[in-house]
Amino acid sequence: MSGAAVRVEHLTKVYADGTVALRDLSFGVAPGEFLVIIGLSGSGKSTLMRCINRLIDPSGGKIYIDDIDITALDQEEMRKVRRRMGMIFQQFNLVKRTSVLTNVLAGRLGYLPPAWALLNYFPKDEVNRAMANLERVGIPLKARTRADQLSGGQQQRVGIARALMQEPSLILADEPVASLDPATSHSVLKYVEELNKKDGITVLCSLHFLSLARRYGTRILAVKAGEIIFDGLPADIDEERFKQIYGEEAVEVEIA
Amino acid sequence: MKEQALPAQRSSLPPLRAGFRSVRFLLLVLVLVAIYGYGWRVTKVDLPALTTGTKFVRPFVVDLARPDVLTRETKSQDVQIGISTNPAVPPEQIPLDPTGPQLRVSTTVAPVGSMLTVTGMGFRPETSGTLFWVNRIGNRQPVGSFQTDLQGAFVATVTVPEVFQGPDAGAQGAQQRLLVHASWPVGPLRFSPTMVLVAEKIVETVFLALMGTTMAVIVAVPLSFLGARNLMTRNPLGTTIYYLTRSYFNILRSIEPLILAIIFTVWVGLGPFAGVLALGLHSIAALGKLYSEQIESIDPGPIEAITATGAKPLQVVRYAVVPQIVPQFIAFTIYRWDVNVRLSTVIGFVGGGGIGFILQQYINLLQYRQAATAVWAIALVVGAMDYFSAVIRERAM
Repeated sequence: MSGAAVRVEHLTKVYADGTVALRDLSFGVAPGEFLVIIGLSGSGKSTLMRCINRLIDPSGGKIYIDDIDITALDQEEMRKVRRRMGMIFQQFNLVKRTSVLTNVLAGRLGYLPPAWALLNYFPKDEVNRAMANLERVGIPLKARTRADQLSGGQQQRVGIARALMQEPSLILADEPVASLDPATSHSVLKYVEELNKKDGITVLCSLHFLSLARRYGTRILAVKAGEIIFDGLPADIDEERFKQIYGEEAVEVEIA
Repeated sequence: MKEQALPAQRSSLPPLRAGFRSVRFLLLVLVLVAIYGYGWRVTKVDLPALTTGTKFVRPFVVDLARPDVLTRETKSQDVQIGISTNPAVPPEQIPLDPTGPQLRVSTTVAPVGSMLTVTGMGFRPETSGTLFWVNRIGNRQPVGSFQTDLQGAFVATVTVPEVFQGPDAGAQGAQQRLLVHASWPVGPLRFSPTMVLVAEKIVETVFLALMGTTMAVIVAVPLSFLGARNLMTRNPLGTTIYYLTRSYFNILRSIEPLILAIIFTVWVGLGPFAGVLALGLHSIAALGKLYSEQIESIDPGPIEAITATGAKPLQVVRYAVVPQIVPQFIAFTIYRWDVNVRLSTVIGFVGGGGIGFILQQYINLLQYRQAATAVWAIALVVGAMDYFSAVIRERAM
């Protein structure tokens, strides 16, 4: 597996109600980078993530994944590109009433004939792959458990295993630890970091805490009101930059 | 600041407000008195009827405690003797079977109100029986009871009752009979014919509800997707379909199944099929609304997540939508079946088949013991359905 290169050019998103979520955003991500996106709630982080896999269609601008302009793809072509883009969500977005194993297997659906879905059939090697991925995130014994019986941290690890089923070259993590406590946050982010370091998967991850961003990011992108206000190394964010990103009244909180 | 402003405002208002308040209160009381006074009149509230009517309802309540469930074959010995209530008319001579039980009376000419001693011999020992007075046209009236001793003999006294002497009254009307009827059960206990019929009809009722519910599910499941706001209101056509579906549900749901049953009995004739159609049509709307609301309340997160993996729409529905709605759909359906079993008893009253049909007949024929059997059967089955539907619903959730 190798990481994907992402290039965003003049990306704009205006919602139907007139809200401007993204204004003329341009940046590039090199293969194997761990890019952390920070910014206040409502600054446009989630919209940016969803534009990259086109869960939300951009209003203007272009997005290139490995030099393919995905904004020009039709639904079926886009679906094929999505197969290589794993996504991890703040609320985990697991199907609560189904087993952990089925949730993980669902990550592979893009590669399987849709008719199999009617019979709930997954071939043996896919089940083995799912078990291997569950082992990788440390919860192989939970395979038969209902997803809603798991703790938050475990659920997010199921989310990571689901993304891994896609054999992704890019992982979009939309505030993956915002619903977790500090200790669990680290354990989850370490798995993401491992995918980035070991497998070379490019990671785009939005985070709330600057301390976490500094700890895991190889590069930081700060977004405010739909515009990039900082793009650089974690070490370059000083007090002044911080106030610029989070506002004058903000105080940096250390997360253990 | 605010705390200071409030009391100031208050102090300027009290006199006017207090006066207005009491006037408003008085008006309210007057209006309420008028409303309930009128209600009392139009609904013809008649509290004394509750006491004067007890004698009418008592046989029904008493029979409720002794439903016609079990029965045994009986054998009996019947002996009759002619009695005349008019000394001018000779009593009827009824030949006795010399090998059977024998009967002797103190007199065969006994005016109304006089006492009569009856002696019996050769009856079955230790058997109870009833003495009936039989008039010219064969109407029986119980006038006493007896218990035979170890030798099969008994002595009983009877007061001659005043009876209807028949259409050909005259002198012949005085010729009446005393019937001695001893009976005893033989053979094992078995279900009475009433119980057998009730069981058959209660099964019919449960299946009537099942068929109606199934019919409703088949139509309501696809319709419910059209009536789900979150799926349909993405374009003007969808929005139109959404409102049409919802209006259809609301209109249909407001028509009582009883009224639908009357319409269908006219359409397809009396019987359970009319009941199935009535319950089915009503349940389409009831279930459709519940299903739609369930679809509207699903978490969009998993749909987003499965879509993001590159899954096709069918796969998204199967793995993100279906798991979120199936348990509730099952729970709603079982609940509806339970409701339909209850409704189908009422639907029988208007000819829609099921147990209600025979219950109404029993009540009209004043066969309260039989009616009691039906009432108990309904209570039992509805209670059981209620319990099991709760258990299954809990499992499904």
